[in-house]
Amino acid sequence: MKEFELEPGEHVVLSARRHWFLFFAGLLPYAIIAVIPFALPKFLALVPSFDSYGVFFTYTTPLGRAAISVWLLITWTGAWGAFTKYFLNAWILTNLRIVDIKQRQYFSREVSSLFLTRVQDVTTDVIGVIPSLLGIGDIKVQSAGAVDEFVMHGIPHPGQMRDLILKYVPEEAQTTGV
Amino acid sequence: MLSSPLQTFAPPVGLFNVLHSSGISNGMVVEWVLYIVFTFWALYTIVAIYHWVKYSHASLVAFPAIALHLFISIALIVYAFSGTLL
Repeated sequence: MKEFELEPGEHVVLSARRHWFLFFAGLLPYAIIAVIPFALPKFLALVPSFDSYGVFFTYTTPLGRAAISVWLLITWTGAWGAFTKYFLNAWILTNLRIVDIKQRQYFSREVSSLFLTRVQDVTTDVIGVIPSLLGIGDIKVQSAGAVDEFVMHGIPHPGQMRDLILKYVPEEAQTTGV
Repeated sequence: MLSSPLQTFAPPVGLFNVLHSSGISNGMVVEWVLYIVFTFWALYTIVAIYHWVKYSHASLVAFPAIALHLFISIALIVYAFSGTLL
């Protein structure tokens, strides 16, 4: 990561991304779109009045090959773009701070740091059946700075992350709150 | 309520006739549509690769991810052009 330079004596403790389940859930629309040209003729065949439309879905002709290739290329590129975005969003915990890297879209990137000396409170939220089973949750880190809350959504094992953050919060910050 | 079954859409024969009279074949139209789509694909891919290289070049995932994308995309592009369009 070139966005931030580690301070002398600083080292990365953990880097985390959104839970893999949320990533795959985000890919589901692309999977459905990819399957449509193959599934639709079969559904059309079930309805007699739409049966004749099946001829539009033959992929053996040059035009059919071109059409299906373009369809799949657009879908694949979209899915790969989603993976790129997933990968470029990260939270990095060092022994001195938490770094939140947000890649909202291409050419829109925000990198913010919260020094652990400013941490006042760390809260975890795990809501719902699937998040509880898979260990997906949010962490809210309250600070004494101008930015009151530092929120990380959908991270794996938020409890462990919270404990790790608190482990590196200096003693004086825990007792004084600053 | 419809009293008769739906009829299949007819292709835009009139448009094709105009194109044919101008000396443009169906294959040429399809080929140009493909060129436009692949140009957009190329631009998108360049932008995405720029981000991978700039922000995640040190990651083990970066270059396999780029290679996989290029491999699958180029396979699809070759398949699109594999039919005789002209």
